[in-house]
Amino acid sequence: MGQPQQDPLRGDQAAAGPEGPGDGASASGVAWLLALPKAIARRLRDSAATSPGRLTMIGVGLVVLAMIAGIVGTIVAQDKRDVVTNLTDYREPLSSAAQQIYGSLSEADASAATAFLNGGIEPDSLRSSYELNIARAGAALSKATSDQGATSEADLMVKTLATQLPVYTGLVETARTYNRQGFPAGAAYLREASALMSEEILPAARKLYQIDSAELSEQQDEANAFPWVMAIFGIGLLVALIATQRYLTRRTNRVINKGLLVATIAVGIAVLWGTGAMLTQAILVNDGREHGSNQADVLSRARIAALEGRANETMTLVSRGEGDAFQKNFDAARKRLVGADGNGGLLAEARGLAEGAEHADDVRAATENAKLWLQRHQQMRKLDQEGDYEQAQQLAVGAEEQSVATAFRKLDESLQRGISAGRQEFRAGTVYGGRALLLLAPGMTLLALVAAGGVAVGIQERLREYR
Amino acid sequence: MRLRTILPAVLAVLTLAGITACGDVGQPVDLARVNEAQRPLPQNAGEPEPVDDEPAPDCGDPTASLRPNSDISAGSTMAKIRERGYLIAGIDQNTYLFGFRNPNTGQMEGFDIDVTRAIANALLGDPNKVQFRALTSAQRVPALQDGDVDIVARTMTMTCGRWQDINFSSEYYTAGQRLLVNANSRAESLEDLRGRNVCSAKGSTSIDRIAEAGGKPLQVDNWSDCLVVLQQGQVAGVTTDDSILAGMAAQDPNTKIVGPRFSTEPYGIGIPKENEDMVRYVNSVLDDFRGGEWARSYGRWLSELGAPPRPPAPKYQD
Repeated sequence: MGQPQQDPLRGDQAAAGPEGPGDGASASGVAWLLALPKAIARRLRDSAATSPGRLTMIGVGLVVLAMIAGIVGTIVAQDKRDVVTNLTDYREPLSSAAQQIYGSLSEADASAATAFLNGGIEPDSLRSSYELNIARAGAALSKATSDQGATSEADLMVKTLATQLPVYTGLVETARTYNRQGFPAGAAYLREASALMSEEILPAARKLYQIDSAELSEQQDEANAFPWVMAIFGIGLLVALIATQRYLTRRTNRVINKGLLVATIAVGIAVLWGTGAMLTQAILVNDGREHGSNQADVLSRARIAALEGRANETMTLVSRGEGDAFQKNFDAARKRLVGADGNGGLLAEARGLAEGAEHADDVRAATENAKLWLQRHQQMRKLDQEGDYEQAQQLAVGAEEQSVATAFRKLDESLQRGISAGRQEFRAGTVYGGRALLLLAPGMTLLALVAAGGVAVGIQERLREYR
Repeated sequence: MRLRTILPAVLAVLTLAGITACGDVGQPVDLARVNEAQRPLPQNAGEPEPVDDEPAPDCGDPTASLRPNSDISAGSTMAKIRERGYLIAGIDQNTYLFGFRNPNTGQMEGFDIDVTRAIANALLGDPNKVQFRALTSAQRVPALQDGDVDIVARTMTMTCGRWQDINFSSEYYTAGQRLLVNANSRAESLEDLRGRNVCSAKGSTSIDRIAEAGGKPLQVDNWSDCLVVLQQGQVAGVTTDDSILAGMAAQDPNTKIVGPRFSTEPYGIGIPKENEDMVRYVNSVLDDFRGGEWARSYGRWLSELGAPPRPPAPKYQD
């Protein structure tokens, strides 16, 4: 293998020019290659001893540095813009989809249970609500499935959701068929479906939401990180340019070198523009996070707690006190929502975040509606405990203005409005932040080329004086 | 010249080396692989935990109750219930024919419910003045001990063990344990299901006999959950009182009750241990109930079990 390859190499070396190191001409190609760095170092040392040689070296060095800084700046700027765009186009929609999966599934389950409580032929509105929410959950799930960068844990959650959802709907339909026949086996199937929902499906949806919202938060951190590499290269180049100019001034007594001046100005602009744009972007993205996505996150978690409470409230009636697990679950969800004293919990957290923001009204409305719901829940429980099951049931699921169902609907609507407002704020901040980086990447390339050109011209000018 | 001839050869060799170097091409990539589907189970279903079998002390005849007495004196349990205005009854809302919620009307119905309403009617003058508390089999005795309910009318077998903790009314129905299997099954007895899963309710008298016959017990909260696991293919049979099995067979014509009765299960109404006045009162109501209502209720719910037998004769301890 070795023998035939030696010849072309030597041919190349011969073609490369007569400047090849003298001692390598007679040796083999490999030996020449090995000797190359040493030879170059020697030649550089020789050149540096003369002024034109040194100047050439400085010029080449500066051009190379300008090109590297330009490439780094362009990549960093483009990457930053990608990260910011990714936030609005991909990460946030994913976490929102996960929240929708939870909300829709939980509502579907509540509709199925309520339809059962109503007795007889299920009201069309409940059936429609069930179907719509299952369809919504399926659509949101298909979006969650598209998360390419998903962690294996998120993947597992999506898999649980995708495999168990059809099982759940199957059980609900079986329950429905038995109910229409007047058999209590329907209730048994409904209980099984509800258990599957609350023990496997909803926890997976909740976990998926947690993973996705943590991921969003992480990406926001990344978007707001200071671009150290870019700054170091930019400032390093600037310092090198200024030093060169001072060196030349000392050497030649000429104050201004136009080429180098242009290069310095270009790099100065690049540093100022880059830092300014990225700081602006970080401030805007952070604003969208604090007033937008954080708010949406707290309200989403509040909605999850409220829906969990509602489902358990309904199941307390369906089960007619069979075990007090549902009531315990309700109390736990209530505590998460409004705290032990009724003035804390996630809603208090949301109020704190919303202070002075546009959607403060939605959060206040949610707080009021939560109070109303919990108040009516107490009334309903009192009726049930006093033995008036029929009245309690009517109060729980009826469509009247004073029913628990109506109060809950109002709460859910205000929470959803708050979540939408938070998402809008997030989007505004992040999109404006992204716009701050507009043209930054091509700008970095252009300014680097100008700087390199300026250096080349400026050094060339000085070199000409030696000829 | 040589370069031109050698270079393509070298490239060809390198390419060939690349193609053949790794040898094995590996398996096609499966993005999602699921090897088995998980069947859903009713909530709290599972294998029973081993219980230390303390043999119940002999109490003589467990069907013997206290002599009836319909007097309601001031301060008695019955007077307190009257003051409250409604009777709190622990019932089953899932057992077709005995105690179940009719999904079409939302009302509680069944043989046990008829007995409960008869007691409410006698005590309060209105069969509807009842607050129904749904209980699982395992919750019956604790609910009575804690005083959460006035009575429990829920297919409850009178046993010496339970007499320790609660009181029973006189016997109002006699059931016997049998076996329910799919219509195409060849099993005739619990012994035929040796080594296979058999369903029964947690805290019932039936569940102990599964392991005794060599089967693997699967316990659930409610009897209707047993029908669910039978339909889902997770058990080969369900064993409990024929009265309860008849309700399952009525809901699913693809099941059948097989084999003879292998136990006698006298049903009594459970009453808290301290409320002996209530026991005597309920027994007087049951005496009336046996008169004509018993047969009417039997005919309405249990006619599938055959022509109405005579109601069980009450027995008393003295």
